[in-house]
Order: sequence, then C-alpha cells, then structure tokens
Amino acid sequence: METTVTIVLIPGLLCDASIWTSQVAALSQRAPVVVADLSTQDSITAMARDTLALAQGPLAVVGHSMGARVALEMVRLAPERIERLALLDTGAHPRRDGEEATRQVLVDLARREGMAALADRWLPPMVHEARTGDAALMEPLREMVKRATADQHDRQIRALLGRPNAREHLSAIACPTLVAVGRQDRWSPLAQHEEIAAAIPGARLVIIEDSGHMSPVEQPDQVTAALLAWLDMESPMTADRIPDTPLFDRERQRRGYRINKMAMGLSKPENREAFKADEEAYLDRFSLTADEKKAVMSRDWREMVRLGGNLFFILKISAVDPVRITEIGAHQAGMAHDAFLRDRLGKK
Amino acid sequence: MAKLIGGLGTSHVPSIAAALDKGLRDTPDWKPFFDGYIPGQDWVKEAKPDVAVVIFNDHGNSFFLDRVPTFAVGCAEEYKPVDEGWGPRPIPPFQGAVDFSWHLVDTLVENRFDPMICQEIDVDHGIQVPMELFWGRPAAWPVKVVPIFVNVIQYPIPLPSRCWELGQVLRKAIESYDSDERFVVVGTGGLSHQLQGARAGFVNPEADRAFLRDIAADPGKLASLSRERYVELFGSEGAELMMWLVMRGCMDEAVKVLHTHYFVPASMTGAGMIVLENEAGATGRAAA
Repeated sequence: METTVTIVLIPGLLCDASIWTSQVAALSQRAPVVVADLSTQDSITAMARDTLALAQGPLAVVGHSMGARVALEMVRLAPERIERLALLDTGAHPRRDGEEATRQVLVDLARREGMAALADRWLPPMVHEARTGDAALMEPLREMVKRATADQHDRQIRALLGRPNAREHLSAIACPTLVAVGRQDRWSPLAQHEEIAAAIPGARLVIIEDSGHMSPVEQPDQVTAALLAWLDMESPMTADRIPDTPLFDRERQRRGYRINKMAMGLSKPENREAFKADEEAYLDRFSLTADEKKAVMSRDWREMVRLGGNLFFILKISAVDPVRITEIGAHQAGMAHDAFLRDRLGKK
Repeated sequence: MAKLIGGLGTSHVPSIAAALDKGLRDTPDWKPFFDGYIPGQDWVKEAKPDVAVVIFNDHGNSFFLDRVPTFAVGCAEEYKPVDEGWGPRPIPPFQGAVDFSWHLVDTLVENRFDPMICQEIDVDHGIQVPMELFWGRPAAWPVKVVPIFVNVIQYPIPLPSRCWELGQVLRKAIESYDSDERFVVVGTGGLSHQLQGARAGFVNPEADRAFLRDIAADPGKLASLSRERYVELFGSEGAELMMWLVMRGCMDEAVKVLHTHYFVPASMTGAGMIVLENEAGATGRAAA
C-alpha cells in the first residue's frame, strides 16, 4: 500500500555526488537516497528521463542549479511520481539574450586550456565573495570540476541553452515544494527565487544565510535542516489554501481512511456496544496507528481532523460518548465553549 | 404532463431534528427558527405537491468513502431513516416515486448526466429535516419523494455550475413525464457553517442573506462561483449550498419569491428557507 519514497539528489553543472555528501548522510536516515548523474546527456529532458528511471515509485526530488531545472522537467514529465520537490539556487526562465555567447567563452576555455583553467575562472563567482580564498571549500570544488571533462561541460551547456521554459508550468505544481537560495547567490539571485516560490502554490522559500550559489557545500547544515523540514512539509492541498479550513481532499481522505472507517462502524448498534465495552480493542479492529488511537481515545477532535478524520464520520463517536457539536467546534477553534458560542456563533 | 409547481430551499441541520425529537420546538432557542417555516408549511398545504424531488447530500451515513457517487438518484419503493449513530429516528419511511425516478435517470443519461442508481438505500437527516420542516411530523408522508444525492463532502465535489445544469435536466424530466402529478423541487443544505478545522464555527450572515436574494434574482452569479469561493464565503460545509442551484436550475429564469426566512445560529449554522414559484405559473398547467 504505502510505497517507499526515494530521495533523489540532482547536482548541477559540472557537479557530482560530492556536493551532496552532507545531505546524503542526513537524509538517508529518513529514506533511500540516490544521486543523479547528468554527465552524459545533452538535454534537460533526457536528464529528467534518466533520473526518473533511477528508482521505482514516488520520488522526493532535490535539484541544485541545473539539477533543479531537471527536477522541474521531471515534474512536467511525471507529476504523479513526484511526491515533493526542492529547488536550490536555480532559475525557471528560458535562455536569455546573449547567454549563448557568455557560455561559449567557458566552453572554449575548457577545450583550449583544460578543466583546471575552467575551475579557476568559473568557480569563484559561484561562492560567497568572502570565501573564494577558503581552501577547505574551494579545493574539493576544484577537484570536482577537474573530474569532469570538456565534453561533459559542452553537453551540459547545450542542455542548458536548449532548456525548456519551466515558468509556465510552475503554477501546476501540486506537491510540497521548497525553494531555497543562498542570500549571497550572485549567479541566481534571491529575487528570482521569490518569483519561483510565488508561482508555485504553497511553496516554502528558505534563504540560506552566508552562502553563495553552492549552498549545499557552503552551508551544508542549513541546507540539510531545510531539507529535513521539507520532508515533513504538508501538501499544499492539505495546507489549506483557505486558512484553518481543512478540505476533505485526496490527501486527507486517504490519510484518514482508517479513522473514518472505524467511526463509520459506529452506525451499527453492535459496534457501539463493542466500542463502549473495550474501546482500544474496537480501534484495533481497524488497524489504527498509535497516533490515531491516542487522538480518538483522548477525544482530541483537532488531532483527529489533522489525521484526516472528517467530522461527519468522527461525530459518531459522540453518539457513544456524548459531547455537543459546539464543544467539538470550540475544541478545534482552541476556544472556551462560552467564548466560541458568543464570538463565533453570535449567541448572546 | 407533470407540473412543476414550485421550488423550495432549506437548511438540513441535524440539530433541527434533534430539537424536534426532544420536544424543544417552542423553547426560546428554537421557536423563532421553527416559526419562520410556518409560511413554507402553509404553502405546501395549499399547493399539495404529489412528488418532492429532494436534492441533498449524505453525511457519511448511507455512503462510506469506499464508494462515493458524485450524483446518485434514489429509485427505491421506500426510503427508511438511517442509523446515524443514535439509532434510526422514529419518523415514517418515505415512499418513493419509482416510475418517475427511472424516467429521471433515463433523462439524465440522455442528457449526459450519468448518476449512480440506488434501489435500496436508507436516508439521513439531509432529506429528513427538510421534509419535517415543510411537511411537519405526519403519521405518513402525504408526498412521494425522489432523493438526489450530491457528493459535497469528499473532493472533488462537483462544480456549482454542474449543479445548475443538473437542475435544467431535472426540469426536462418533469416536463416530459407522462402524469398529472404535481412536483415540487427542494434544494437543501447550508447556509454558512464550518465543522472542521480552526475556523470551525464560522458563520457569515451577510453572505447568507445575499445568497437568499441572489438565488432568486441572480442565480447565474451563484452558479458561476468556484467551489473554493463557496468554501470561503459559506465555510467548508456551507459549500453544500450549491445544491440549491439544482432546484433553481429547474425553475424559470423569472421567479416569484413567496417567502424567505433566515435564522442564525441553528446549532453551528446560518439556517434559511425560501419558497419560489415561477413567475409564469406552474409549468404544464392546462389552460385555465
């Protein structure tokens, strides 16, 4: 039933698994982690297809820079498989005027003078200005660029120049989405991420402090913390577009199926008797989780609703253990019953 | 052909039934609410409908989440009160109008509405309360019923405009039904209320009063609102108000408002009623 989610980390231009070292260590505690390899393809779409093929089932996709563009393409190709999405230091716009010429300079440099020369030219603007001389940061990055080849660079630049315009698809993204950016990212600035986050329903924007474009290695702890929080982020559908109004949508009703089925059972007299006689045994019949059992047994209506319970079903508990609907309302509103009647319902 | 003699709208709050069962009708909390329905009851007595088509939603009583029809039509001989957890209420069962129900199902499908067909189904307060509010507590109901169930609980719920279109097809079905029976259409649910979440207890009397005006005078506006807008204006459960659009879609563009009533709160709900007749009079009426 519940299929395991695989976390996919996608590095950017000239990057490889080494930039995700800290994140892999932390995230693999939570779910299987794989790192994509974008060194062989020459289009964003091909990169997306290959990355989708890395694992079966639902994916939690984290992309950095060009890797985030690949992540966006994955959402476009297979939205049903992307359970959640994290976009780090990236952009959604298509190729800009003059971009080809600027990038060609670096392609030529790599061909003419080699990858070490490319690293010297390309890397410093990618990190926080104050850290260009920080050997502990820069040396591993240099080594990484040198592991790549001029051909790979060439292919990846072609992929970037031919990238799709992801902007028009942002508003259709329906999964929990994190947009994160180094505050001092000079390559893909904060404002660009504000626009992306604004266009994706329910997206969360996180600013990584004291970081340039290479946030996963410049501030690994901040990035990891943002990703761990993102793994627990609720779906925008569940995260109530209308404040404090949990619509009984796909996610909620799937989440709450057991609890609602248990409550639906109370429309039979024999089940009401069973519930009264041994509540926990009755709940166990419906395989309620520990959290669900606790919420029901403590008559925590707010928590029952949070766990996907729908009032029309769980109200049947009040047929066995009487409580007024207005008390259930007051509990969810976090108000005293009198105040609830007066302030919400206008009772004198 | 059958005659459409009027359209009724009303809330179907379960606490209304509980108040009746507990004999609270004439208590200070409830009397003003129930008294407001007297003109509606008088209209029903005078108009003597033979068949009531009642549009309502099941509240997790006859349908569980294992199968959720967007639209369902009752085609049963009889509909008994369902056990909602407190035991079935002691009210008479409703007699069905089987022949018309099947005619309605045929007409719906021919007009590209494909409902679930229910030949054995109990019914909850969604239909019980409107029947009691307009017909009182008789020993036997003097009217046959055709229940139309609309899913307004589990998303995706239908579009308000779809409810309106359903009403238009219902009108076709009544007008093409070979019978001299007199039909009334009852849209139920609402008005504003919210049972779930931290906004529980939300009521919006201003929007409710506007709805009671617009449902007669400007129903197209109500049919064009999004589902989300219904939830914003009327609360998560108040979105069921869109079921009044089935009734209104069944009526002529020009209607007379004979009675309205609004009372807040009935339990946690802004409760209301409307009685409409077509300006042009009953349809299918023989020339006087």
